[in-house]
Amino acid sequence: MTVRQRLLAILITGIGGTAAAAASFAMAVYDAANPEGVALVAAGEPVDTGRWIVTVRKARAGPTPPTGIEPLEPKTFVMVEFDADNRSAETSNVLTRLLAIDPPVPNLPDPIVYLTRDGWVAGGISPGMPERMIAAWEWPPALPPPRTLRLLIGSQIYKRRDNLYGASGWFDRDPVAAVELSVSPAAAEMAQ
Amino acid sequence: MIGAIKGLAGVLLAAAMLYGMQRTTPLYSDIISPVPVAGRQGERVDTSAFAIGVADVHLAREVMASSFGRTRTYTTSGVWVIIEAAAAAKQESLSLTSAKWLGPNGVRHALSQRFSAMSGMLGSERLEPGIPRPMLMAFEVPESQLSGATLLIARSALTPLAEEAWIEMTDVRAQDIRPAVTLGRGNRSQPWTLEAE
Repeated sequence: MTVRQRLLAILITGIGGTAAAAASFAMAVYDAANPEGVALVAAGEPVDTGRWIVTVRKARAGPTPPTGIEPLEPKTFVMVEFDADNRSAETSNVLTRLLAIDPPVPNLPDPIVYLTRDGWVAGGISPGMPERMIAAWEWPPALPPPRTLRLLIGSQIYKRRDNLYGASGWFDRDPVAAVELSVSPAAAEMAQ
Repeated sequence: MIGAIKGLAGVLLAAAMLYGMQRTTPLYSDIISPVPVAGRQGERVDTSAFAIGVADVHLAREVMASSFGRTRTYTTSGVWVIIEAAAAAKQESLSLTSAKWLGPNGVRHALSQRFSAMSGMLGSERLEPGIPRPMLMAFEVPESQLSGATLLIARSALTPLAEEAWIEMTDVRAQDIRPAVTLGRGNRSQPWTLEAE
């Protein structure tokens, strides 16, 4: 191989490598500048979030939490009914991050998730046993309860080997879908 | 020419070996997973830290239990599995905190959290060396996962390389499901009472 051939080879690999790096960088910048909007799904439509299949059904607001026992000092609860089916191989809690109110409400505590069938706080949900549940947010007294609610449905992915230990596990990812619900005020019929 | 073919063959062989090694490397979670100690329902299982034996298994559609003075009915979308067992520590005082129902399809069902206030429930009391204590466990399991299951019990779900009792549940049949089981408060030596309907 002559010196001329060798130089040509070095030049071609250099140009190719630089072009590949530039293209990759440009794509990353473009993706960051134009984030893909989340898909809007209708209420009652199942959403595959990776670990869970979630179907958001309806929302209501009222003074009675799903336990059926009104707290001593009146509070307003915003409640969202949803189904969740665990697709993983292990029992898991329905993460409070699964459903997030969009845009976020300041000073809103995490919701408490109840089972619809007996009004008890939902513990772990096992695979093969889909459950209907109610997420109840204790609404700040300073704010009026919302008329409509936009929820983001979070997602998780399974990594066979994670980047730190090489262990398998589930990792949070960006929301996959949004759902818009009208909030029916249950206050009127509950008061009687 | 022969040299080029040899070189190419060497590269392909190396690539195949690396691919094989990459695919067969055990996962970190497998390397540090608990060490199973096999046992069977109705027999004593000895791990180095504790001993456990499963006495009775009750299957029910509903469980009635008193909590804070009121009797509540606990429903499930599957089947309640109530396990009465006895356990003792061996060398030092310890608490057992992890129990899982490994179904025949490989799914691990965690202990139901709904009776965590019940006395005698797994994790509610510390075991002292040489003093066997009764222990209660409750699971919610789909009906298809009843027979052929294994009960996994360990001190903690997270301790790497600790021993875990793998108790083969040989005598659990779907035809033994009862409509309801009532759990009540017991005394010091037997912390709960169980009545099946």
